[in-house]
Amino acid sequence: MNSAIQNCNRCETPLEQGDLRCSICGQVSPADRQVNELLTIQVMRCQGCGAATAYDIEHQAPSCSFCDSVMEVETLEDPQEQTGGYLPFTIDQDEARRAMRHWLGSLGWFRPSDLKTAARLEQLKPLWWVGWVFDAESFVSWTADSNQSSRRSAWAPYAGQVDMTFDDMLVSASRGLSGAEASAIGPGCDLSTIRDEPEGANNASIEQFDLQRSQARQQIINAIQELAADRVEAQHVPGSRFRKVRVSVVLRKLITRRVSLPAWVLAYRYKGSLYRMVICGQDATRVTGSAPYSIARIVLVAGMAIAAAAMLIAAVASS
Amino acid sequence: MTETAPSKVAEQLEISCQACGSTLLLEPHLRTTVCPYCASPSVIERPPSPNRPAPSFVVGFVIGQERAAESVRNWISNTSLFARSDFKQAAPELTRGVYLPAYLYGAVADSEYSANIGEDYTETETYTTRDSKGNTVTRTRTVTKTEYRSLAGHHSTYIVDVVVTASAGVTNAALEAIEPFDLRALRRYSPAFLSGWIAEDPSRSKDDCFHLSHDESVEKVGRMLHDFMPGDSHRDLQFQTHLSREVIDLVLLPVWSFAIRYAEDQPPVQILVNGQTGRVGGKVPISAIKVTIAVVIGLAVVGGVVALFASQH
Repeated sequence: MNSAIQNCNRCETPLEQGDLRCSICGQVSPADRQVNELLTIQVMRCQGCGAATAYDIEHQAPSCSFCDSVMEVETLEDPQEQTGGYLPFTIDQDEARRAMRHWLGSLGWFRPSDLKTAARLEQLKPLWWVGWVFDAESFVSWTADSNQSSRRSAWAPYAGQVDMTFDDMLVSASRGLSGAEASAIGPGCDLSTIRDEPEGANNASIEQFDLQRSQARQQIINAIQELAADRVEAQHVPGSRFRKVRVSVVLRKLITRRVSLPAWVLAYRYKGSLYRMVICGQDATRVTGSAPYSIARIVLVAGMAIAAAAMLIAAVASS
Repeated sequence: MTETAPSKVAEQLEISCQACGSTLLLEPHLRTTVCPYCASPSVIERPPSPNRPAPSFVVGFVIGQERAAESVRNWISNTSLFARSDFKQAAPELTRGVYLPAYLYGAVADSEYSANIGEDYTETETYTTRDSKGNTVTRTRTVTKTEYRSLAGHHSTYIVDVVVTASAGVTNAALEAIEPFDLRALRRYSPAFLSGWIAEDPSRSKDDCFHLSHDESVEKVGRMLHDFMPGDSHRDLQFQTHLSREVIDLVLLPVWSFAIRYAEDQPPVQILVNGQTGRVGGKVPISAIKVTIAVVIGLAVVGGVVALFASQH
């Protein structure tokens, strides 16, 4: 559901059905109502019974005290968000299973040697998780402390302003996936493959947006500020170490799409404990999850390290 | 019929009740009236003019008259220790619940700033002191010092939701005292909202309101800049703000207005209640006698301590 009706004529961000003002810059959305050019005197009549009506605190609207009907007024609408489309699964169940084995075998020497073979798949479920994809133009003012040209203190202050554009940036709205999981598998999705209906998996859980539009916008704006701060740190502040990176973002043309993204959510059991994994539904190399460590191997390495240290100390002491 | 500007002495308007046809006199700056003969509430819309634009939004009343009166009584009993006793005992008189005209202002604020940014560092310094046996010894300690470095730059931001009064009867400070209004409850203006209630038209010129909005915006930018500065601390923050791409819209806000007449020889005190949140604001008259007594007691205590101290030495 894309409910954009027109663009704000100040910052060109799309206004949606029920917006009384632009959510970014505060410009009033155009009204349908005609402004009276002449002096008018009106007695508000109930459309039901014709009696004079008055604004009523209890109903928070004009209402008729005779027949108790309430008049319709245009209020700010803040609907629950709805997804705008689904990215199809291109990785099937068997590929997901193989991706799991491959990932378990690739974790390194500190994991148990039999992890790949002894892990038992308990559950493998397709999930469409929800996120926002946005494009925006922005003008970012920033300040930061950096190590460059620092004198007595380790830090020196810097400031600047820069134009920044954001294309197809993904922000997770998911409750089912953690933020880290979403950012690990999100980049594997191809946003151009969007469809109207879920495709490519059966019996999938379909996550719903559980935020209202106003809260969602706030989350997106917070995400944009974090992204802007990250980019400023990476590209614009001189030096190699930074702290207190602060940004002030003036947004234009913020266009947000609401999408459902495919993921395989797995649970596997190894020696009695359950572990969780998430695989991107469009890219089997995008895998994240938890896995056990081999206590024996860690103890072995630690023991060897301690022994080496002890020998070294002994050698130093004897010389 | 040409309309009078707010600066001119506005005249009463003669209208006829649309329900019973009686002739009614409407006070200047009022938008609503109730016919004394048939009790029909009327909403009057004068043609818009630069100083009296058509309202864009209205925030409806949520707090009723009784709750507002109770809030005022609680507020009075919790006022400062130094408030006049007759004020604390006075009964608040409801004058009216009114839709107060205010402007909702927004802009892009571009500022040029400069400041001295304090960056802390630690230094080890040696110092001499006497140990427990009275010998002079040299010791070291770490101290935190601050190095100030100048920083100048530009800052841009949207300013939104600045609310300033458009009624000559309510100062901007009085309105600020009962802010904030929850603007998520903003409704598109419809005359039906005002029906049965008192509503005012703007009685301040738009220029005047622009000035108030600019001042509030610059204050807002100042607070933002304080949070925007890097470093461990900063001083000498100075800035010049240029406001552009401004928007200003008329909004009608729900306000209960009370008057407290606490003494024959004093003008009544205006107490406002936010008709949406119940927040109370007003200026409490301070009792000169109570303040004097407190100062005298304070001085007496200080004098006593000094005397005691002097007598021991």
